[in-house]
Amino acid sequence: MDTQVIGHRTPRVDGENKLTGRADYTTDWYVEDMLHGYPVPASIAHGTLEALDIEPVLAMPGVVAVYHHGNFPRLYRSPSSQAHQDQVSEVRLPFEDERIHYDGQYVAMVVAERYEQARAAAQALQARYRQDDGARPGLLYTREDGRPLESEGGSRGDPESAYERAPVKIDHVYGIAPESHMQMEMHATLAQWRDGRLIVHESSQGVIYQQKAMARIFDLPEEQVEVISHYIGSGFGNKLFMWPHAVAVAAAARELGRPVKAVLPRQQDMESGGNRPASRQRLRLAADEQGRLQSMRHDSTTETSFVHPYVDSVGSPTLSLYACDNAAISQHLLEVNHGTPCPMRAPGEVSGIYALECAMDELAIALDMDPLELRRRNYNHEDPAKGLPWSSKHLDTCYDSAARRFGWERRDSAVGSMTEGDEILGWGMATSSWFAGRQPCMARVELRADGTVLAACGTQDIGTGTYTVVAQTVAELTGVPLDRVEVRLGESSLPAGPLSGGSMATATTLPAVAAAVRAAIDELKEVATDEDAPFTGADPDGLTFRDGALVDAQGKRVTFDELLTGQKLGSVNGDGQAAPGDEQQQYSFRSFGAHFVEVRWDPAITRLRVSRVVSSIDIGRAVNPATARNQVEGAIVMGMGMGLFEKLDYDPRDARLINNNYSDYIVTSHADMPDIDVELLDNPDYAFNEFGARGVGEIGLTGIAPAIANAVYHATGKRIRELPITIDKLLDI
Amino acid sequence: MMESSETSAQAGETVTVSLTVNGEPRQLQVTPNVVLLDALRDDLRLTGTKKGCDHGQCGACTVHVDGKAVNSCLRLAVMCEGRHVTTVEGLARDGQLHPVQRAFLEHDAYQCGYCTPGQMMSAAALLEDERIAADDASVREAMSGNLCRCGAYKNILEAIQDARRDVTAGTGEGA
Repeated sequence: MDTQVIGHRTPRVDGENKLTGRADYTTDWYVEDMLHGYPVPASIAHGTLEALDIEPVLAMPGVVAVYHHGNFPRLYRSPSSQAHQDQVSEVRLPFEDERIHYDGQYVAMVVAERYEQARAAAQALQARYRQDDGARPGLLYTREDGRPLESEGGSRGDPESAYERAPVKIDHVYGIAPESHMQMEMHATLAQWRDGRLIVHESSQGVIYQQKAMARIFDLPEEQVEVISHYIGSGFGNKLFMWPHAVAVAAAARELGRPVKAVLPRQQDMESGGNRPASRQRLRLAADEQGRLQSMRHDSTTETSFVHPYVDSVGSPTLSLYACDNAAISQHLLEVNHGTPCPMRAPGEVSGIYALECAMDELAIALDMDPLELRRRNYNHEDPAKGLPWSSKHLDTCYDSAARRFGWERRDSAVGSMTEGDEILGWGMATSSWFAGRQPCMARVELRADGTVLAACGTQDIGTGTYTVVAQTVAELTGVPLDRVEVRLGESSLPAGPLSGGSMATATTLPAVAAAVRAAIDELKEVATDEDAPFTGADPDGLTFRDGALVDAQGKRVTFDELLTGQKLGSVNGDGQAAPGDEQQQYSFRSFGAHFVEVRWDPAITRLRVSRVVSSIDIGRAVNPATARNQVEGAIVMGMGMGLFEKLDYDPRDARLINNNYSDYIVTSHADMPDIDVELLDNPDYAFNEFGARGVGEIGLTGIAPAIANAVYHATGKRIRELPITIDKLLDI
Repeated sequence: MMESSETSAQAGETVTVSLTVNGEPRQLQVTPNVVLLDALRDDLRLTGTKKGCDHGQCGACTVHVDGKAVNSCLRLAVMCEGRHVTTVEGLARDGQLHPVQRAFLEHDAYQCGYCTPGQMMSAAALLEDERIAADDASVREAMSGNLCRCGAYKNILEAIQDARRDVTAGTGEGA
């Protein structure tokens, strides 16, 4: 497809709003008569709330109400069905009972006139607990495995006997500490009731899901609930599905008859607003002497809270990434006294690929083979998990290109052999991958008499650039310049769009927008060929729409704004919808890439840094190369955190969260930045959708942590199998 | 740690604070425990300045006080009597984006945009700060009080170095 706008770099259409402070994030909403809510977190992780000393707090300045188990209205749990789009992050309602299952679980919420008053009262509220013995501080503190998950199992061939027969094999256990999303905008809700209708501003990656969940919980018809999320201070998965704070705020607003807003303090956001669960993963790989994989087994355990069974599907990529006739995955789930985990960027796959790609490195060493060569020898051309050909796989090109730019052929495989001054260089690599998904979607487009075009869809822009790629699609198909395209997203009253998750928003939304553009143009042609119109009597199908104008065979040209103005019409509208189709039975869709990482290790001062990352990623068509590249670069930055810094630390004695802030939970800072060289291959995947785009939000994160771990081994000879690789693990003590 | 200011605030007594915000004289009527960040947002409805941690750890709330970049979450409103405060809303002048804003747009130096006001306020200040050298490593170090979880640091650095040319050409804020 020869395109003018799609596939070309353009500044974000919402850029000026973000740069001038005009962008209306949920936290920025203030409405008349609004009260401030401030949740009160439990200070134990396992036990029972015995008493709350409410009276003194009610007497504090500005305090309007305190909600808790004793007075919270009776509501209904959401069924939390993905199919019915009413999924929530935690099915347990706030204040449902007095059992405490994790540190930071809400025991009350104070509502006051001013923020400072709510905060003061929440901090003053005295609670008495009975703390039970036997709190589980987390999966990585125990050998327990919990219960098996049939849904996460899968196998082909006979991996057990193939493993026994094979000449070269490895068997190792890998771990990943729980991580926090640490999105910059904390969870926030503003709820108001107007004539029985609930209007919620929420920092949400899924306004439609939250609308439906709220309708179930408050027993309202769906159309009586509106959820708005115009700008989101990102989410990385923890804003996909609603959390209990939103229920508490909406209930308080109903009880008090006044709008209530709550912005979680960072500490609470980290305790109870979602996390990536820890995982323990055993990898058993076996190969013949030529390095051809004979057997792969990936047995995992992940953790969840006691109130919601979240499953991170860590084994899923293992059945697809390499050619191997004998493979099996299995998974267990252990309940621990943590806040409920939830999807976090590349959920499941990033964890599984970490363990698999470390194991491949260890297998390469066992084979005395270059780790890149081992990947090449096990390259597949179809998805062995589905028995379908890949729609468009160019991983070999990614390997070639990234290895060349990195200089991989100069690698000396001997540990610690590459030095520069006082520093030892470590070079590691890993494969990167993320499945390509697509959902049904609806959209609406209006061609308006003032010469502008409106596109609307009930999806969101979490910073990935959805506003911009929707505008580009409209501009591409109408010829109307970007500055005359308006995009509305983030309202549940708009035509139903997808979650901003799974890297699916672009591939899901753009075909529906395109269908709506075409429907609006068809409508315009009807208007144009009506009585007393510029093309009266002409065949609508004989007209073409180009550069914002209808043109007939004789070359007569009328712009849509002239036409609409002349016909005294404000606009013509088109409704569009799109969904995945037969192609899903013909191909397997997945994106692939390769990361090459250089670390520098200075043993004299115990300093480890990532100095260079070279990546090639194939995402099909990049609708906007600038925002797409930004996604991969940002994912590399987050992957450095996963590899080197990030760990939610729970006290082994009582399961309380120790590092609930940005100083003690370390994320990658600007000073940590390596040189990053990202290449996006441009191979449009037209089997997937008409724009050839597979999505880009998550793939870049996969493979970074193992590439770092493999580079650290190359530099130090230390195989650190539990993330993060903090420098204490590298000390010789 | 909050207790003393919270306690005095419980008397409900408010203090009048006169300050200049984005060039305009403003008055606040606040209890002593009101933080500058919350006063800007809740009282003056200047919501461009963001709260990311409330502990001076993330930099999202960075504003200029008398020309210096500070974390507005670490400063009580009552400490700002007579001060000149500039927020992101005051960064553009005469309808023209500040060179840092233009460069952030051009270089896609953000994703979600939530840390961006703070990033830009720090960037605008460092470009005027003679103590901070112009090389990339110095800028990275100087910008490390502003976390970006989306990880747009590469583009942020490019934007700042690009804006440097315009600022040194004399079109900068000079606050």
